[in-house]
Amino acid sequence: MIAVLAVLALAQGQLEVSHRKVVASDGAAVALYRYSPPGRGEGQRPVLLIADLGFGRQLFDLDGRGLARALVARGRTVYVAELRGQGAAAPGPDGELVDLVLRDLPAVARAIPEPTFDLVAHGWAGALALAAVPVEFAGRVGRVAAIATPADADVPSALVEKVLHAGGALSSLAQDPDGRAALEQLFAVRSTIPPRELSTQLALLGDLGPRRARSLLRWMQRHDLELGPGDSVRARLSRLDRPTILVLGLADGWVGPELAAPLREFAPRAQVRILSLSSAELAAEDYGHLSLLRGAKAARDVWAPIVAFLEEPLP
Amino acid sequence: MRVALTAIALCLASGCVHVAPRPVATETYRPRTSDGYGLELVRYRTPTLPKGPPVLLLHGVAANSRNMDLDEGHSLARWLVAHGREAWTLSLRGTGSSDDPDRGSGRPPGYAFDVFWKDDLPTALQEIERVTHAGPVDFVGHSMGGLVLYAYLSQGGQGVHAAVTLGSPTRLDWGTRVEPVIERFGALVPVGFSIPTAFGAHLAAPFHGLADAPLQRLFYEPSNTPVPVMRALFAYGTADISSGVLEQFRGWMATGRFASADGQLDFRAGLSQVHTPVLVVAARLDHIALTPGVRDGYRALGGPKQWLLVCPANGAGAEYGHMDLVVGDHAPHDVFTPLLNFLDAQP
Repeated sequence: MIAVLAVLALAQGQLEVSHRKVVASDGAAVALYRYSPPGRGEGQRPVLLIADLGFGRQLFDLDGRGLARALVARGRTVYVAELRGQGAAAPGPDGELVDLVLRDLPAVARAIPEPTFDLVAHGWAGALALAAVPVEFAGRVGRVAAIATPADADVPSALVEKVLHAGGALSSLAQDPDGRAALEQLFAVRSTIPPRELSTQLALLGDLGPRRARSLLRWMQRHDLELGPGDSVRARLSRLDRPTILVLGLADGWVGPELAAPLREFAPRAQVRILSLSSAELAAEDYGHLSLLRGAKAARDVWAPIVAFLEEPLP
Repeated sequence: MRVALTAIALCLASGCVHVAPRPVATETYRPRTSDGYGLELVRYRTPTLPKGPPVLLLHGVAANSRNMDLDEGHSLARWLVAHGREAWTLSLRGTGSSDDPDRGSGRPPGYAFDVFWKDDLPTALQEIERVTHAGPVDFVGHSMGGLVLYAYLSQGGQGVHAAVTLGSPTRLDWGTRVEPVIERFGALVPVGFSIPTAFGAHLAAPFHGLADAPLQRLFYEPSNTPVPVMRALFAYGTADISSGVLEQFRGWMATGRFASADGQLDFRAGLSQVHTPVLVVAARLDHIALTPGVRDGYRALGGPKQWLLVCPANGAGAEYGHMDLVVGDHAPHDVFTPLLNFLDAQP
């Protein structure tokens, strides 16, 4: 762990990042960024990072700091995908969440030349990526780091329901004090994210789009998302068999840890290892949805355990 | 000098805190368990005809019945009475004014959690029925108090009309850094012993809150529960922990099970057969009963059931930790009110 932290500290410099547009089967654009470690990366699986709905690449790399660079510093090639509605792929066509699984993620998999990769998945979009592992990503994924990915979907709070019912316009919430307070409740309760960066991150939030917001709310209310006849996220999770670390933040208001933790039971073959973070056990904070990746001490509390887990040999 | 030292020692041992008396009108009963423990059972009567079944309130581990009636301003028992419900508080064996273990009296220390649901809770239920003839009671259990109810109901226990559990985790294996600490500490505790947690809490009470410390946040949210309230809770709301109870908890932590001490009874599995209405309440920033552990019990219950996560995103006036659920300044609005609404709504 100390070695990992030491290398993370070296990861602050400039890094060349390439970007390409990937076209999904319905013509929608997906952005794929590639971080290449200079002169290294041979023999190691690359890592694909998927941020939650509303977030983009900056969740993993902003101001020279982030999990993407931490992985590159360990010699990993890193891919960051921005699915429809996220970051550079926004605004994109509004639509159903199922499109992310059935159209975007297969396109991402095709665009990654290496035969296998590790997966870091965050939030609701991350749960969709986990659902893709046994089908769209079949045979491609080595190890999985799931960060606050819901398994037992439910409406986390009245506030979440209100935001989604209103169309999931996250970007406009950041514009006024009440909206910003709501966003902090959802993503960064008492977070250690430096104020300037928190403002930047909240300003970067993208709108979900009314149809995707409805789709997400329906997923929560029905506790599952149908992907096709006889096929659903929950059914897919039961087929997940890749070694998985599940990271939970106590103060997560967007995907409560109580909704994510049942992955351990839903995916018994994934041998889910849980990392539960809170200030009471000397983590820097109770960790919310955003601070799990951007908290002041996320490098120590979150990234380092993830990097170490991904470096373990496959069984 | 000796007098001064004795005074200081007595002060520290009592937490240097004024013990708020219970209301004068309470009645104390002392039913006896099948193995000889006298239990402190306190009745809080309503001035007029009650509006529903009596409500039995049960505290958590290392606690006693004063958690449910700390003082005039922090009392679920009195709040229920003010809203038309008769309340009863129970101190489990070895806590409050209930009998402590005493080898000489045939009450050996070291008992496990199982005695609470097998013996203490049924004893209290029978006594309430004997006194009131009111039929099945409503029940509110905080922390381990909710687990006692879960275990009781999962094994076919009767006499409960509807229930609310507050921060009661049926799963304790969450990969936290605390778990190995408890594992190692528990291994050092001799069998047949009571861990003097109450004495430790009394010693700590006068100094509690002098500095913001992680240990403080382990128990409560200072923005919700003022420091003097926590000092009072430490001073006269705490109790020792039986080594057998700790050992059973360690087993749950190691295995992820919610089961009897001998491993033969699977309480979690039994909860699927429970059809007593239960409202399961969790506090978002509860560092003792993590929300995934509380939700585990909710998921296991057969239903009807409801889930309530107490946090500002759900309209609460403050954040909540473990003890805020019963003694927080905002608890009457954020916890007690939905709790009573749920109980009142059950046919």
